[in-house]
Amino acid sequence: MLFGSAGTEMGGVPMRAPILVVDDDPDILDMLREALEGAGHRVLTARDGLEALERLRTAQPSLIFLDMRMPRMDGWEFARAARERGNTAPVVVITAAGDARAWAKEISAESYIAKPFTISQLLGVVDKFAPPRPS
Amino acid sequence: MTAVDLIELAAQFVFVLVFILTTRQALARPESSRANTALFFGSVTFAILQGRLADLIGPLPAIVSALSAIAVMAMPLLLLRLLDDFAGVRRPVTAAALVGFVLTAALILVTPAPLPTPTVLVLIAYFVIVAAYASVGFVRLARRTAGITRRRMEAVSVASGLLVLVLFLAGVFRLVPVPEGLRSGLTQALVLASALAYYAGFATPNWLRRFWREPELRAFLHRAAELPRVPDTDSIVAEIERHVGASLGSRAAVGLFDPAANVLRFRHLHDDLPDEIGPSELPTWRVFTSQVPTYYADASRVAPELANGYRASGIGSMLVAPITAGERRVGVLAAYASRRPIFVDEDLVYVQLLADQAAVVLESRALIDEATRVRAQEEATRMKEDFISAAAHDLKTPLTTLLGQAEILERRFRGDPDRKAELAGVSRMVRTSTQLADLVQDLLEAARLEQGRVELHTEANDLARLAIDVASQQANADERITVEASQPVVAEIDSTRIRQVLRNLYENALKYSPGGAPVRVRVWVEGHEGRIAVQDGGIGIPDGDLPQLFQRFRRASNVDDRRFGGMGLGLYICREVVARHGGRIWAESKLGDGSTFHVALPLSAGAE
Repeated sequence: MLFGSAGTEMGGVPMRAPILVVDDDPDILDMLREALEGAGHRVLTARDGLEALERLRTAQPSLIFLDMRMPRMDGWEFARAARERGNTAPVVVITAAGDARAWAKEISAESYIAKPFTISQLLGVVDKFAPPRPS
Repeated sequence: MTAVDLIELAAQFVFVLVFILTTRQALARPESSRANTALFFGSVTFAILQGRLADLIGPLPAIVSALSAIAVMAMPLLLLRLLDDFAGVRRPVTAAALVGFVLTAALILVTPAPLPTPTVLVLIAYFVIVAAYASVGFVRLARRTAGITRRRMEAVSVASGLLVLVLFLAGVFRLVPVPEGLRSGLTQALVLASALAYYAGFATPNWLRRFWREPELRAFLHRAAELPRVPDTDSIVAEIERHVGASLGSRAAVGLFDPAANVLRFRHLHDDLPDEIGPSELPTWRVFTSQVPTYYADASRVAPELANGYRASGIGSMLVAPITAGERRVGVLAAYASRRPIFVDEDLVYVQLLADQAAVVLESRALIDEATRVRAQEEATRMKEDFISAAAHDLKTPLTTLLGQAEILERRFRGDPDRKAELAGVSRMVRTSTQLADLVQDLLEAARLEQGRVELHTEANDLARLAIDVASQQANADERITVEASQPVVAEIDSTRIRQVLRNLYENALKYSPGGAPVRVRVWVEGHEGRIAVQDGGIGIPDGDLPQLFQRFRRASNVDDRRFGGMGLGLYICREVVARHGGRIWAESKLGDGSTFHVALPLSAGAE
């Protein structure tokens, strides 16, 4: 994976579906945006479940990174609401709580990453669930 | 025989019976009150026998009937002396009554029979005045006490009142002519009632004793079920004392044994009495050590050093019983009365019964206290673990940003030859924040293991493959780790957790093997166990440190804290994880010659 200048499309790779990152911590959102955009992904962010549902109205992400404990609408509610609205994008739970595995199971998420994680872990998951399409 | 004769006979029978019973009591334990009681009924019995004898063999010598009359006239004086025994009578009153008695006796002796009416009226007046005074005294005593004592004193005052009435009527009949049938019928009925009341009061039979005690005992037993829930032991003790006092018509004190100080501790009773009683010859301590319930008729005689205190606080006689729950000596229960005759020997059994009940109450209380203490301790531990979890959780979020951001920079600088210096710095940041993240992880993991909140997700895994995998991912290993495994070793394990264990063991082996010494890992099957051995050529572990190695926050004493970071949680986590799998972990080491850490995990069924 090349780290070119952030936020640009890799040459020749067609526009891919964005990755939606949902987390109430703005620093984590910024950091994840930089990491994912650096790897050539388009990134949408949301501060809570309600904002995330808003994003789903206008975009169909290829992958959703979902924090669980958030104000207004938490990860559980969002997962249910998203499923009701026909969202099919794989969900990866990102949480600092020790129960990441159990929580991921509760909302039938595809995978989970426990905070703190490394960038390689993050990109490994991205490669698994939102691989770059061959041009 | 007429009905009146029958009543007369019954009354006389009761008086003689009570005389026999009280005489027996007086002989069993010679005491002023008992002697006075026996004498009182003895005088009646003498008069009765004299009358009966006269009926049988005709007139007796004049002196005998005179003595019989004197015996009857002694009754009010004896009654007064009994009152003195029970409640105390002022000296001048007893003296006056005694003088009166001597004068009446003299009057009887000098006057030839039959006595003229004025003389008889004088004698009756003397009798009525003294007996009435005593009756009133018993009424007042009854009012002051409670429980069985109150009922006994009530019976005595009724009996005395009836006797006074009999004498009063005798005087009236002397002056007013009344038909013989009515006169003797009324008199004999009153005498019978008086005899029965005296019997109940002075020679209380056991069945009556039990009947009289029942209401207070019932109240106490009823309350005893709720008593252990009363918030403080002091209130419980106060209530036990109140109930015991109420049912005995006396007062009571509970002394609780304090094993630390080796004393019996009482609630404050009186300034002249100690609140704590240690090893001594004092009644309560004696009973506590002997465990034998004892009646002390005269407490001051047993404990002369406390005589002043006893007198000041109105303690005359004492019933002391041990409060013991099974093997545990809880304390003593002492019931005390200002006057001796308040208690009888049978009360000792009753006090022991109450003490046993008190033991049940106090033991329940102790168990409740113990349970509360354990709960509080558990709660404190839980709160501590919760705090660690919360703190570690809150550390993780900023750590995620820190670590991620450092990694992003590291990746960016890595491809840029002009940024070599920045790359080195950022790499240090990545390394140290990774360390920090690992420490937080360890702390959380240890807290979770401690709380038993770790759930294993087991499935069949090849330990050999796992050992190779972890070795290949180990940072800073520089191919120092070699894994030897001749065959797959399949065990039912939680691979994430066992990876964690291996990572920890590898890390330790690398960390404590300076100078790039190789780390040798072997995986094999032995019996029903899959075995892993991680051997390093490091500094080794002193023998004395081996047993504590796997405890929390323990590190070998030869570890230089500045050179080797870490909180000493790694091996604790390893031990807990392995233990959850039903396995074992241990270390062998020779100081300066490396260490070998062994892990043994039960193999999955059918994998051998």
